[in-house]
Amino acid sequence: MKQRHKLTKWLVVLVALHGIVAAAGFFAPYDPTEQDRERPYLPPMHVHLMDAQGHLHLRPFFYPFRLREGSFDQYEEDTAQIVPIKFFERGTRYHLLGFIPSRLHLIGTASTRIYLLGSDAYGRDQLSRILYGGQVSLLAGLLGAGVTLLLGALIGMAAGYYGGWRDELLMRIAELFLALPWLYLLFALRAFLPLAVSPLEAFLLVVVVIGMVGWARPARLVRGVVLSVKERDFVRAARGFGASDFYLLRRHILPETASVLLTQAAILVPQFVLAEMTLSFLGLGVPEPMSSWGNLLATLQQYNVLVSYWWMYLPALAIVPFFLGYLSLATALQERTSPYKMEEKTSWNLS
Amino acid sequence: MQPLLKVENLVKHYASGRSARSKDKLVALDGVSLSIPSGKTLALVGESGSGKSTLALCIASLESPTSGSISFEGIDLAALHENQLRLLRPQIQLVFQDPASSLNPRWTVLNIVSEPFLIQRRFTKPDRAIRALKLLDRVALPRKLASRRAGELSGGQKQRLAIARAIALEPKLIILDEALSALDCSVQAQISNLLLELQSSLGLTYLFITHDFAMAAHLADQIAVMDRGRIVECGPAEDILHSPTHEVTRTLLAATPRFSESPSELVHA
Amino acid sequence: MLYFLRRALHAVFLLFGVSLLTFLFSALTPGNYFDEMRMNPQISPETVAALRAQYQLDRPLPIRYAHWLNAVVHGQLGFSFAYNSPVAPLLWARARNTLLLTVTATFLAWLLALPLGVWSAAKLGRAPDRVLSSATAALLVIPDLVLALGLLILAVRTGRFPTGGLVSVSFDELSVLQKLRDLAMHMALPVLALVLSTLPMLVRHVRASVAEVLNAPFLRAALGHGISHRKLLYSYALRAAANPLISLFGFSVGTLLSGSLLVEVVMSWPGLGPLLLESILARDLYVVIGGVLLSMIFLVGGNFFADVLLYLADPRIRTAASAK
Repeated sequence: MKQRHKLTKWLVVLVALHGIVAAAGFFAPYDPTEQDRERPYLPPMHVHLMDAQGHLHLRPFFYPFRLREGSFDQYEEDTAQIVPIKFFERGTRYHLLGFIPSRLHLIGTASTRIYLLGSDAYGRDQLSRILYGGQVSLLAGLLGAGVTLLLGALIGMAAGYYGGWRDELLMRIAELFLALPWLYLLFALRAFLPLAVSPLEAFLLVVVVIGMVGWARPARLVRGVVLSVKERDFVRAARGFGASDFYLLRRHILPETASVLLTQAAILVPQFVLAEMTLSFLGLGVPEPMSSWGNLLATLQQYNVLVSYWWMYLPALAIVPFFLGYLSLATALQERTSPYKMEEKTSWNLS
Repeated sequence: MQPLLKVENLVKHYASGRSARSKDKLVALDGVSLSIPSGKTLALVGESGSGKSTLALCIASLESPTSGSISFEGIDLAALHENQLRLLRPQIQLVFQDPASSLNPRWTVLNIVSEPFLIQRRFTKPDRAIRALKLLDRVALPRKLASRRAGELSGGQKQRLAIARAIALEPKLIILDEALSALDCSVQAQISNLLLELQSSLGLTYLFITHDFAMAAHLADQIAVMDRGRIVECGPAEDILHSPTHEVTRTLLAATPRFSESPSELVHA
Repeated sequence: MLYFLRRALHAVFLLFGVSLLTFLFSALTPGNYFDEMRMNPQISPETVAALRAQYQLDRPLPIRYAHWLNAVVHGQLGFSFAYNSPVAPLLWARARNTLLLTVTATFLAWLLALPLGVWSAAKLGRAPDRVLSSATAALLVIPDLVLALGLLILAVRTGRFPTGGLVSVSFDELSVLQKLRDLAMHMALPVLALVLSTLPMLVRHVRASVAEVLNAPFLRAALGHGISHRKLLYSYALRAAANPLISLFGFSVGTLLSGSLLVEVVMSWPGLGPLLLESILARDLYVVIGGVLLSMIFLVGGNFFADVLLYLADPRIRTAASAK
């Protein structure tokens, strides 16, 4: 029962995280493409409750930044202006989930823009870019995992159910793919495809490439399940009623593979999100102006950015809670299927 | 009057070893012949490994024999195409030994009983449910179990369910492969009485496979004894039980408590 | 002996498969690669023509594969347009740098993972184990890209470590000791990044294997005979848990060339990684093929190496093989 709680807990966490990214329009204060050339590379702004004179304000506020005297890239707070932060404000138009128009934002300010996580070279709000970028990266990861699992399930079922030379051949190929380092495979695949493509094409390309890399392990696992289920008497009984192969696969065998596929999904999705990030970071993935966590980090390849503008690193941290959530979910799922627990075994401990 | 089922010289080889080309083969059936008249029960007795289950699978067309023929109502099953076979399959049904593996534990009782209808694409959905419930009544399973998952039932209930499923398509021949062996004694008695009752009311023919002579005695008109892929002795039940001729038969009888001292009258009348 | 042959055959099969895959990737690219090359002003039309002839582009696929395979086996991995040199020497030079990094990192990682894992298994479920498990879990949650970038930023902001390159500009003028120190300083960050990204998994595996073995009765008997705990752990338990660990080690060896790609690019270490990336971006295809092929050969070799080790280490495999 405790396992059930763990499972639900992490599921809820993941749904919440995904929900925030999916509703990026609401949580992001601004449009991610909105530039402000007069405010490049602003560091994250501080939120205050107490002002410089020592008064406590009910509403949190911030001081806009102004350039320090004699500097062209050092900023300081302009304590003369107090800009209050409003919640549930009407701001720029966006489309929730792509089709529901709305102007409601969680945070808004009347006049000056607030840069909670700083701004980039073009004055675009990093927080907004991270949220919107997450949509691209997460979607790529989810779709990639979907492609992989679909491929793996089909191949695994074909190999396990039909057996014979088909099984041998497919499993040998799977062994080959398993033996290859996935990053290299990813690169190799990406290398041999055209470089200059539109953002949407690039995105789809990334998904397909990622999807084709990892099918071997799910295929092996699915095949194992199919082999064991195939011999069960209830499958024989169904055949005795005249069931077709398709019926058996769909109604009896496929449901048994569900738990394996779910666990694999929990392991693969974060890996594939990371794959997208890596590809985009290196310039092989999603190009500008579409933002993804990967290409948001690409600016860090410039030395001056690395030295002076540390907040440009923050998109990298965005993936960590997702990794935590997915890996914990995977552990919880694995514990559920194989209840063998090392800790509970009555092992004598060397003191 | 031709027999319902006639098996002639059935041979089944399995290739053992990893390569299909290997010379070693396992001879499961080495020329088996038997026949069962309609409405009667033939008990097939033998030790584990004698080939009984293989024979069952071949007759039910779940395995294909290496050579020999299986005639059902005069039709040679081996000669049929899968599509033609599918039309005939409802008439020959198999009940397995272990109901835990012959019933998908995740499925509900109702779905399991109506599965044959689903596969054979008969009746509309609500009609299937009604017929399924009637089948549950037939095997004395309470209707309230209909929405439970098969994994939650007791051994006896599961086997009743398996029988209900087997009679769903109104078969003529039912092969029971050690169907009672996994059950407790008292439950065995109940289920075997159910089987007898169904036989008389539905006009079923049984091929009852077992390793237990006592069970055979209770249910069978005829008994055939199998050893290492061959039928070594076959005949009316009383003859086999009281005056066995083959050594294997005698050994098996001696191992059964009830028949080792003096033959009793526990013969199906 | 038969075991060796079987594993060797298996490795050869994998190599064939790898080479075929790599070749197919390059051959089936959409768009004629050579058209792109012809448009590149840096490459003379004679070179293009010569390459076309060498790679028999007009012939059907199997023949092209045969020619290509022939060339590869003879050490000719093609020509790099960006560097204007044959591919093979380019690869070796970079591979050397990569190996310098990865061998050090792998050595350190295993050196740390074994005692940590064994200790963790010995104290299973108790405080030290839990602390270590939390630490590994925390590290596992941080992907290597994030880790490498983070370390880089830390280095840059503290200014203590050089942030790129193999050695400093003034390398040749330094004394031997200073040279070593310079190299070490340059290596420190990438090695740290590599170790931190591989250590958690290693520790977990060691812990799991040893913990499973610790339950065995023969160990209890040995303890009853009065041997010291340390001897028990290292001489007995670790030996018994060796099988999966040897396979893992083989895998570590196999990834010596390919595992550090990201770290090298991020930390500007002049290894195979950055070369591969540049070549992809510059469409310098033969470098890409050569690089991919080389690292995959290493991988297959690593696994085979593990098989050899297993054979030598585990008498059960030896007897099973000879019994066949």
